[in-house]
Amino acid sequence: MSNDTHILPETRSWRDIPQQVRPRAMSGEGRRRMAMGAMRAAIGAAVIAGVSWGAWQVAAVLRDNPDAMPEAAKSDRVRSLVLATDGVLDKEWLARTLSIAPESTLMGLDLNQLRLKVLADSQVSAAAIVRNFPDTLTVRISERSPVARLMAQSDGAAPRMLLVSRDGVAFAGTGFDAAMVATLPWIDGIKISRVGGSLAPIEGMRAVSDLLASAKLEAENLYRNWQVISLARLAPDGEIEVHTRDGMKIIFGTKEDYLRQIARLDLLVDASNDPTRPLREVNLALGAQVPVSYGKAAPELGGPPAAALGASPSLPQISLPSNSNPHIDIHREL
Amino acid sequence: MSSKTSFIGAVEIGTSKVTVLIGEYTGREIVIIGCGECSSRGVIKGSVVDYRAATECTHSALEIAERDANERIDYVYLAQTGGHLEGFYNEASLNVKAADNMIEISDIRTVCDLAKAKELPLGRMVVHNIRRPFRVDGRLVPTSPENLVGQKLEVGYWTVHGQEQRLADNIHVIRGFNLEVRELVLSSLASGHMVTSMEERQNGVLAIDIGAGTTDYVLYRNGAPHTTGVVAVGGGHFTNDISIGLRLTEGQAEKLKLRYGRATVQQRDKGEKVWLDGNFSIGDRQFSRHAIESITAARAWELLEVVKKRLGQSFSPETCAGGVVLTGGGAKLPALAECASHVFGTSARLGEAPSWVNENLRDPGFHSALGILYYGVSVQSDRSAATRRKGGFLHNVARLFAST
Repeated sequence: MSNDTHILPETRSWRDIPQQVRPRAMSGEGRRRMAMGAMRAAIGAAVIAGVSWGAWQVAAVLRDNPDAMPEAAKSDRVRSLVLATDGVLDKEWLARTLSIAPESTLMGLDLNQLRLKVLADSQVSAAAIVRNFPDTLTVRISERSPVARLMAQSDGAAPRMLLVSRDGVAFAGTGFDAAMVATLPWIDGIKISRVGGSLAPIEGMRAVSDLLASAKLEAENLYRNWQVISLARLAPDGEIEVHTRDGMKIIFGTKEDYLRQIARLDLLVDASNDPTRPLREVNLALGAQVPVSYGKAAPELGGPPAAALGASPSLPQISLPSNSNPHIDIHREL
Repeated sequence: MSSKTSFIGAVEIGTSKVTVLIGEYTGREIVIIGCGECSSRGVIKGSVVDYRAATECTHSALEIAERDANERIDYVYLAQTGGHLEGFYNEASLNVKAADNMIEISDIRTVCDLAKAKELPLGRMVVHNIRRPFRVDGRLVPTSPENLVGQKLEVGYWTVHGQEQRLADNIHVIRGFNLEVRELVLSSLASGHMVTSMEERQNGVLAIDIGAGTTDYVLYRNGAPHTTGVVAVGGGHFTNDISIGLRLTEGQAEKLKLRYGRATVQQRDKGEKVWLDGNFSIGDRQFSRHAIESITAARAWELLEVVKKRLGQSFSPETCAGGVVLTGGGAKLPALAECASHVFGTSARLGEAPSWVNENLRDPGFHSALGILYYGVSVQSDRSAATRRKGGFLHNVARLFAST
């Protein structure tokens, strides 16, 4: 037998009587006591709030000013670096980037400066650094993912490949798999400017990223053949030019749904499967009307990834602006 | 001062006076540190009939007590009396559920809930649930029957209930002083707890508290309250009888009652006269002492007879070895113990506060207020212990599984 098996009648106790009375039913002393009680509660709340605020302030001072910390806390050296990332960067990169002196103590580090060092690598989009006492420095970063690549040359130096993320930021691309990088198309027809010590984001990369993502997802056989993406006509005409490895030029319009354009392209490629009369140009930017031109088989533009990295003459090469001339327009017809 | 120390106010809003005692409770012991008294107004037979008047005098008594103690009261135990209070007995039994017939705490809780569950008429509220001893297979168990072996567990509760509005009126008088009423304590239980010993309660004793407007009684058996009750007759009625019988004002009648009133007729000489004032002032008169004694004795006899009648079969001299203990302001009437002894057929005595009570508080008029403090503290301690036990970790885990 348990309580749950019984349905007991509810008996009302005197404790059910509400004890609140209206102030006008109170005597003067009662009202005075109530006011005193309220005042005491208010003072108590104010004291608690004051103490909390004081503690917060002290914590903030200690956080921002390592000199204010006790000597015992200062004396611990950094013995361990922990990296938490959503990308490919590793601990060696972190150690190289931070370059913390071996005798540095955990409390002696300027976290803000270290964070700026980490963020100086454009591959890192966000970073947070925390001290984990007694001797561990934890770095949490968020990395950019590449959607395309470009070959850049700066002030007569050897050309080098940079990766470009969806938000248009170009970065060196440390730690990425070479095979994966080789599948990325090249960017051309862009204008790069330098802001401060780093390159400004490439405009229009969001539209290009959407196009590439749609193609990769819906028609990977076509995407694999895309070698160069030109943004030269993106700003004035709203068109993206894609040059394939077999010499075909495809023009996509940014105003129409990419999926529909890719579907039309796929249909066209399938319909004109004649090696003697290959497609030379397809303009998908005009809606349902798709002008197509045919020609003879074109020489192959792209080579294997190794060739691309070795600066093949048929690849677009972009000169980076020097500090004295920060704006350079780059446009190269293939 | 410990942070656990609390200042408890014991308040008795009586028909003739309001009494407030302040106790400093440390969690282990209680010390009386303040006292306040004020003539009562707006209260008839223990019930508030004039809120403003009752509030004024109660708050005055509270202020006096706080000044005396030089401390502020944290919360209040309030005495409850009045003709609206009634009681009934309800019992329940259950078969022990464990295979080995060992009584578990859940069995005890269930049988107690069953015994307490009784629907009350509209507008009535429970003031006290007084548990009588458990019985295991008919065997009396004065304490907890947990872990005893038996097939049938029985328990009974004496439930005291009162009228909601009257209870609320009393509580609101205290709330008007911005104080919380933590416990309501029956006056009879309070004074009974104070004037009877544990041994007497075990052997059976009847405690009668005669106030100005009401008479509260409690019959103890087997160490626990067995029956309680309130008769809406008190010392004020003795005065009223003299006033009507001898055609005097209330004040004059009260004076004669205090000087010459008796619960038995001692004066055989019907011709003996006594002066009203005895100071040869204008209007001073003589009255027959025999007449005064006859009036008060008749009323005393009648009052005790009413109590006996109310108790009915619950009371018998054989089961009340401790006799009758009288307390309250009305018990100061000479020969009342003798009268009670005749009425109840057992020994009777005037109640006395325990020896450790301060001399100033040994008057029978303070027994109830003292009892409120001590009884209230014990009730609250029991409730806290039960709550702690009920709210334990294992109980919570068990409840979690039970609910799933």
